[in-house]
Amino acid sequence: MKQIALYGKGGIGKSTTSANLSAALSEKSLEILQIGCDPKHDSTRMLMHGEWIPTVLDLVRKKGEANIAVDEIVFKGYNGIRCVEAGGPEPGIGCAGRGIIATFQLLEKLDALYGDVIVYDVLGDVVCGGFAMPMREGYAQEVYLVTSGDFMALYAANNICKAIARLSKRTKNRCTLGGVICNSANIENEYELVKEFAEKINSKLVAFIPRSPIVRVSEVNRKTVIEYAPESEQAEIYRKLADTVMKNVPDKNKIPVPMEMDELESLSLKYIKI
Amino acid sequence: MNSNRSLSNTSRYNGCSVSGALSVSAFIRDAVSIVHGPAGCAHQASSLFHSTMIANERFDIPYIYTSGLLEEQIIFGGENRLRESISEALSYDPSVVFVIGTCISETIGDDIDSVCTDAWEVPVINLNTSGFLGDSFERGFLNAIKGASELITASDEKTLSANIIGEKNLEFEVEENYSEIRRLLGLLGIDINIRFVRDITTEDIPNFCRGSLNIIREDPSGVLTQFFAEKTGIPSIPRFPSGTSDTLNFLEEAGRLLNLPWAEAVAREKEYQRSVFEEFSDLGDERIAFDSFGFQDADTQFFTDIAKNTGIKIDPDGTVIPIPLTAPVGTTGIRRMLREWRRFIDA
Repeated sequence: MKQIALYGKGGIGKSTTSANLSAALSEKSLEILQIGCDPKHDSTRMLMHGEWIPTVLDLVRKKGEANIAVDEIVFKGYNGIRCVEAGGPEPGIGCAGRGIIATFQLLEKLDALYGDVIVYDVLGDVVCGGFAMPMREGYAQEVYLVTSGDFMALYAANNICKAIARLSKRTKNRCTLGGVICNSANIENEYELVKEFAEKINSKLVAFIPRSPIVRVSEVNRKTVIEYAPESEQAEIYRKLADTVMKNVPDKNKIPVPMEMDELESLSLKYIKI
Repeated sequence: MNSNRSLSNTSRYNGCSVSGALSVSAFIRDAVSIVHGPAGCAHQASSLFHSTMIANERFDIPYIYTSGLLEEQIIFGGENRLRESISEALSYDPSVVFVIGTCISETIGDDIDSVCTDAWEVPVINLNTSGFLGDSFERGFLNAIKGASELITASDEKTLSANIIGEKNLEFEVEENYSEIRRLLGLLGIDINIRFVRDITTEDIPNFCRGSLNIIREDPSGVLTQFFAEKTGIPSIPRFPSGTSDTLNFLEEAGRLLNLPWAEAVAREKEYQRSVFEEFSDLGDERIAFDSFGFQDADTQFFTDIAKNTGIKIDPDGTVIPIPLTAPVGTTGIRRMLREWRRFIDA
């Protein structure tokens, strides 16, 4: 079982990328489980043809943890992909990080945490132990950083590196950095910038996803690109990403080296055209 | 951010603010104290109460309520659970409900104040403890005294009486110390108005301002002296006296603050002190050494002075005398301590 997680700045396209990645992986006759970890619970929407599935935490809130059955939280989507949304508390109260921990533990208790590949679509940034939990507890074994050439996206990606580097010191660490995925924001020299960023943090650029209007068109049609435009160039790019991810066996001893802020700034400055 | 220093010693005053707050609020007999946090927080505090009160031969251990937060409340917020707990607590028909926050309720950001200010049928007072934000046992203790003082109302009537503030309810000799203060004030003709807070009911609290002198158990930071001066305008003595001259000064200070003649009371007390040291004159040739039991800050000078007054010699090879955690209160406290020394010497 391969357990991968996509981390990155909010709004960078983690859900789009992970949904298309899951869809592309499912074409390989693999059993896929995609878990959305963002309280806004839109990770699996395209796989569910626009349906907002109930979240685990909403059900816990309504019924209590003891009264939840697997089929109330795991939903079959496109090509048999099993979809779960963790959900979260209302904004401003409680602890969403702890909610993610509770969701994973409940899925384990219900024997629902299985598949050839589990794709964790983790929210924006590793701001606290609760949100870092998927990588800390060995759920997210290969982390892919989704970023663009935008400075703040690189900043968030670099922060996640810090978390992985920190966790690497633990004796029971099972989390590795799988690589960097550039979800293009149409920034000049973006490929070169993100590629160099990936190398600087002791990793590699595993995919460059160009910005394509077909992504938006698919989304308004409530489908992944793989499903809506299977013949498109963009679909092919997601399939290539799926191939790369499946072949990728990250070296457990290769620890990412986060950049210093001024280094990161200089790197961005190097590629920017004024 | 809360950045309290971490102390290396293990004094109870650096313990949990929850216990500190409960050591005040749980001694208002018709109040209910709710520890808003996991049940374990209430358990820790009640264990402390259980052990110390049983050791003090008190078996009426106060009932401590808990909102018993579980993971569900940690994730979704515990404010509703607190509301439910207050409603449950009200079924015990208390006159006031105190809410004591914990590390957990503060970490997840529960707005305890807003819950407490809902329209409840009795006052619901947030004691502002909140575990790590509440700092230490002492901070919890101080905040609870301040919280309970919200029930104090103004009074036109004044009596020649004193308010005792901040007795340490978990202290071994709490009653003996109180009796000594009462005896000393009796020499000046002063009664006790209220023990704030020691085994009182909320009905006693509005009488607070009938008192004309505040006597605080101890107030090294001066926080309580200032707080009660501003709140009640009543003059304060910020400590229970310990030692011979301090006890005489206490009488003089109380007399001065109340415009009462104090010279006779001081003379009578001096005579009593003389009789106490005479009572222990048989120990005159004994040799003793003090053991602070690891309490590095123990002020042995105080005990050395008492020994000298009795004629006892300090000698590292003498009988080992354990230093009490708190200095004895008043002349009777010294007498009690000397009896203990005699037991050690005679043993």
